[in-house]
Amino acid sequence: MVTEKFTVKNEQGLHMRPAGVLSKTAAKYPCEVKLNVGDKQINAKSIMMIIGGCIKCGMEVEVVCNGEQETECLAELKELFLSGFGE
Amino acid sequence: MIQGIGASKGYGVGTIVRIEETDLSFEDKKITDVDAEVARFRKAVEDFTEKTMDMAAKMREQVGEKEAEILEGHVIMVSDPAMADEVTNQIKDGTCAERALWNVCDMFIQIFSMAEDELTNQRVTDVQDMRNRLLKILLGKEEVDISQVPKGTILAARDLTPSMTVGLHKENVVGILTEVGGKTSHSAILARALEIPAVLSVPDIMQTVKDGQEAALDGDLGVVILDPSEEEKAEYHAKRDQYLKEKEALRALVGKPTITADGKQVELVCNIGKPQDSDMVLERDGEGVGLFRTEFLFMDRTNTPSEEEQFQAYKQVAETMQGKPVIIRTLDVGGDKEIPYLNLEKEENPFLGYRAIRVCLRQKDLYRAQLRALLRASAYGDIRIMVPMVTCLDELRQVKEILGELMKELDQEQIAYNKEIKVGIMVETPAASLMADLLAKEADFFSIGTNDLTQYTMVVDRGNAQVAYLYSAYNPAVLRSIAHVIACGNKAGIPVGMCGEAAADEKLIPLLLAYGLDEFSVSATSVLATRNTIAKWTIEEAKALAKEVEGLGTREEVEKLLEQRKK
Repeated sequence: MVTEKFTVKNEQGLHMRPAGVLSKTAAKYPCEVKLNVGDKQINAKSIMMIIGGCIKCGMEVEVVCNGEQETECLAELKELFLSGFGE
Repeated sequence: MIQGIGASKGYGVGTIVRIEETDLSFEDKKITDVDAEVARFRKAVEDFTEKTMDMAAKMREQVGEKEAEILEGHVIMVSDPAMADEVTNQIKDGTCAERALWNVCDMFIQIFSMAEDELTNQRVTDVQDMRNRLLKILLGKEEVDISQVPKGTILAARDLTPSMTVGLHKENVVGILTEVGGKTSHSAILARALEIPAVLSVPDIMQTVKDGQEAALDGDLGVVILDPSEEEKAEYHAKRDQYLKEKEALRALVGKPTITADGKQVELVCNIGKPQDSDMVLERDGEGVGLFRTEFLFMDRTNTPSEEEQFQAYKQVAETMQGKPVIIRTLDVGGDKEIPYLNLEKEENPFLGYRAIRVCLRQKDLYRAQLRALLRASAYGDIRIMVPMVTCLDELRQVKEILGELMKELDQEQIAYNKEIKVGIMVETPAASLMADLLAKEADFFSIGTNDLTQYTMVVDRGNAQVAYLYSAYNPAVLRSIAHVIACGNKAGIPVGMCGEAAADEKLIPLLLAYGLDEFSVSATSVLATRNTIAKWTIEEAKALAKEVEGLGTREEVEKLLEQRKK
């Protein structure tokens, strides 16, 4: 299992577009991908769950990848978080 | 007359065409052949995806990128693994596909509508739209087709969804009325993108109107008149013609320089609050950014943004503006703007207290990070630094001293920046106004902030209803202060701009021209209207008006005269 914490930069939080990019990317990998936000745990492969999680700008998100290709998956997600999902 | 929410400007007179909602009721069948039912659901999702991508492509062509993305979002939602798994699980328990879909969507609608976040709440409409269209496919029902409505149609619907508007011929539709929705709903965004006047949230509209009934609407004030009289029809037709004519006139000003009737060119730039706003500046033909407020970077978070994060934001604006000037104001915290993690004490008089540059010069690490980020970003465009709330000359000198130190650092680290970067001040305190002649010798530019200058000159808290009547830039004291600042800047040969609301006020524009203002910084939506007003005046006429105003002693007299003389 690999984990890393990021701060959400997107001004409107992880709304439709960034949530779409995040879930699509997570879904490419066979490993399990979870987001820990506050006391919630969210399936990162589900855009609906991410939107429902209401993850706002400035919040800290812990990304947890567990299983096959976990390192590659975390590396790609890290890039997305740091670039503000290209917004 | 019925009152709703005006969501897309313009006027329309026409005949109602009702868009009936398709009956989506279904029977709860007990499923025995689970595999067949799952396959039926999968097939429906495939059909949905194909149709929606088709619609999105049309939407992109006919309306715009943002509207197309709404539809593409529905495809992403429908292919959500959590959703598909849950529907499949329910079907395996013997539930039919329709009911399973309904249940799962309902769960998400619950979650989204309970969130304490407007943006998440708005996604409820997307789930509903997606669910309804998927149900139609499962039930074998046709999509509502509104592409064939005749000329002069006013559409009446419970809600207008993106999927409905695909294929709509906008020249045939003169108005939109819906029962739900607000200024930021999808229906409002679509109506504005299509430039069709719209009134939303009209109470019980679907029960009230009949097909073929005449109606008139005002998409600005949100007014609907059913069965208008001949006079009312004539009035709305006239308003519509006038509105379209003005719009056309403004459109003709796109790409033109901002010049007075006698040929004096001034700069017309925009106020923005976040990096993404710079797209809007270009879209609306702003000539640069006259005020980029940086507070957004610091608000709604739990810690200070890093130098790197700030650098990225400033660089983004500089690059988007492609070499056009970008004036960035350093952090203006305090007053009514609170940033919890800076731990500023609660004050009796926050507007007279520890605020803006006063905070920055004391919390040096915070300020150094911002100034360093600005310097680094200056390598990517014409960034200029503006210091807010200056009251004394030494504040400007201190900022320049810090900048000098940072430049040395960057030189040593061999990091690029603009060595000639301009450093100016916001003139928004009576002290700065009175000292403008000497400040002008050391500042590279001035920008007059009329909101604060009015508040501090008139000694009035604009939030206090008892004294709010004093809060007006038409007060002779405020006008004199503005005229003085501009004269000092002109004399020292530095550009003077204005970034308060007054810069877009058609009544004040001639006075500002007469005083010699060089740069008008307005909201992106006001660019063309401001350019239009400036083009109506010659400097000579403006000066004659200023001369008349000079003799007036009260706010009412000034405002009355300016109202009479506005063009």
